[in-house]
Amino acid sequence: MSPRLFLHIMSVEARTKMSYRVDFWINAVVGFLASFGLMVFVWSAVFRESGEVRIGGYDLPTMLFYFVAVILYGKLVRGPQLQGAVSSDIYEGGLNRYLVFPTSYFLFKYAQNLGSLLPALMQLFLFGIWFLFLLDLPPDVELSPLTVLMGLVSVAAANLLYFVLLFPLQCAAFWADNVWSLSVALRFVSGLLGGFLLPLSVFPEWSREILVWLPFRFLYDFPVNVSLGKIGVLEWLAGLGLTLAWAAVIGLVGRAVWKRGELQYSGIGI
Amino acid sequence: MIEVDRLSKTFHVYRKPPGLLGSLKSLVKRERVEKRAVKDVSFRIGEGEIVGLLGANGAGKTTLTKMLAGIIHPTAGDADVLGYRPWERDDRFRRQIALVMGQKAQLWWDLPAADSFLLLKEIYRIPDATYRENLAYLTSVLGIEKELTIQLRRLSLGERMKMELIATLLHGPRVVYLDEPTIGLDLTAQRAIRNFILAYREENRPAMLLTSHYMEDIQRLCKRILILRDGELVYDGSLARVVERYATHKVVTVHLRRDGKDCPTPQTVGDLGEIVSLDPDTLKLRVPRGEVADAAAALLSRCSVADLLIEEADVGDIIESILTARGESVS
Repeated sequence: MSPRLFLHIMSVEARTKMSYRVDFWINAVVGFLASFGLMVFVWSAVFRESGEVRIGGYDLPTMLFYFVAVILYGKLVRGPQLQGAVSSDIYEGGLNRYLVFPTSYFLFKYAQNLGSLLPALMQLFLFGIWFLFLLDLPPDVELSPLTVLMGLVSVAAANLLYFVLLFPLQCAAFWADNVWSLSVALRFVSGLLGGFLLPLSVFPEWSREILVWLPFRFLYDFPVNVSLGKIGVLEWLAGLGLTLAWAAVIGLVGRAVWKRGELQYSGIGI
Repeated sequence: MIEVDRLSKTFHVYRKPPGLLGSLKSLVKRERVEKRAVKDVSFRIGEGEIVGLLGANGAGKTTLTKMLAGIIHPTAGDADVLGYRPWERDDRFRRQIALVMGQKAQLWWDLPAADSFLLLKEIYRIPDATYRENLAYLTSVLGIEKELTIQLRRLSLGERMKMELIATLLHGPRVVYLDEPTIGLDLTAQRAIRNFILAYREENRPAMLLTSHYMEDIQRLCKRILILRDGELVYDGSLARVVERYATHKVVTVHLRRDGKDCPTPQTVGDLGEIVSLDPDTLKLRVPRGEVADAAAALLSRCSVADLLIEEADVGDIIESILTARGESVS
């Protein structure tokens, strides 16, 4: 696929997503405030009831900063559009259209996925800047233009990783009629093991040793901690390399699943 | 351009018994059934030919079309389209073919057609000048220039189908698969689409495979037809030959003059053929092909005739009789 076509697909998808104004504002305001409000109540209660000043290396203000970042980054990592797009294409026969196009279906969907991130990207800047003014920067947080830039690059890599994790799961639609539950399972598992629901440093030591060997930590925990200045440049480069290596390996698995699955494809749909 | 050699496709489907108990059972174990959708089909289509693909629902028409467009893999057999095996999906092959599926929108629902066309321009790498020229030609022939900037979902069914056709033909394909291109359209839109397909064929000489349940489409567009029955190709030849071979009767319609002569009755004309309808103004008879001349002469002498019309039987009826004739060979 040419870079020009890739950018054109991104642009079309971004325009389509931005045309839903009501959805944009509901998602931006209600979605963010509900998620953040929940985290404030839960973690304030946890700190108050436990009597601890620090949990997993975070004090309460830093913990809240973590969740501001993780909620805003989470939308960029998961992307709004691919949740069921591939499996729907297979199940409903929409894949027919793409298979006739002289271009890669995987890259087409990836470009659409990136284009669909524009509303989430705008929300990131909208709420991110607002929160920087609203909250005092905790002493533990070393936010700088460099850490924000490193964090955003990590988010882009995390988005790619999530995309390739989801792709083979959705290809299960070649064999099973409805694989929506697999997408939900990935969202939950990656949220728990990746640091979306709580920072990984809160986990017991033995489980953290296991999590090191899994790709999920690069989805949320790593980009957020990079942005909060908790990870140095060299460590960041190593983490970024590992994220891309995981994406490459899982991408190869996805390619193999796709190759086998398309032999099963009936193109019938509903 | 299109060469198909003993192409077959078998699907595996699961049976689920009805009712709650059936649903519970199928959670544990399902019955897998083989369904042979296409069986050993062979044919060739040359440049500039529009070939009609006919068959009852479930006969394998769409499955065959999807294999030739490279969407699904065959179980056995081979095909060569423009020198490529379709299901290998070589980009050079895909740049030269097009598929219109009347029952499934190919364009982007939330975008104006103009935006979709620009995306297709990039997908097919159509040079700017060619794109402008093709778009101007296609929109003017279909009379749809003003609707280009309206969101697709706000257009009528006929307008959407015209947009689908434009999207399909923008890149100047050499092979076009048309699967029910006029389905659901009113008569005016159907006629416009048929005229357009003919004009496009004259101008560009692509090979076209047309699937349609409307006999009018087939009669207007195709000289040659393929008939599929239960996945098997039972006829490959001219439409005219089917009519000659299978139309055993002609229909003779007599418009009667009311001038005092006795009106015909089943007793006076029943020996000439099967009476389809009879009223004081019109008599319609179904007459064996070899006896039409004698029957017409007899009618002129026995009745006061204002006008007399001899017609072939309806092509749709003929095809339908072939499609529903189980196990009989077609030559």
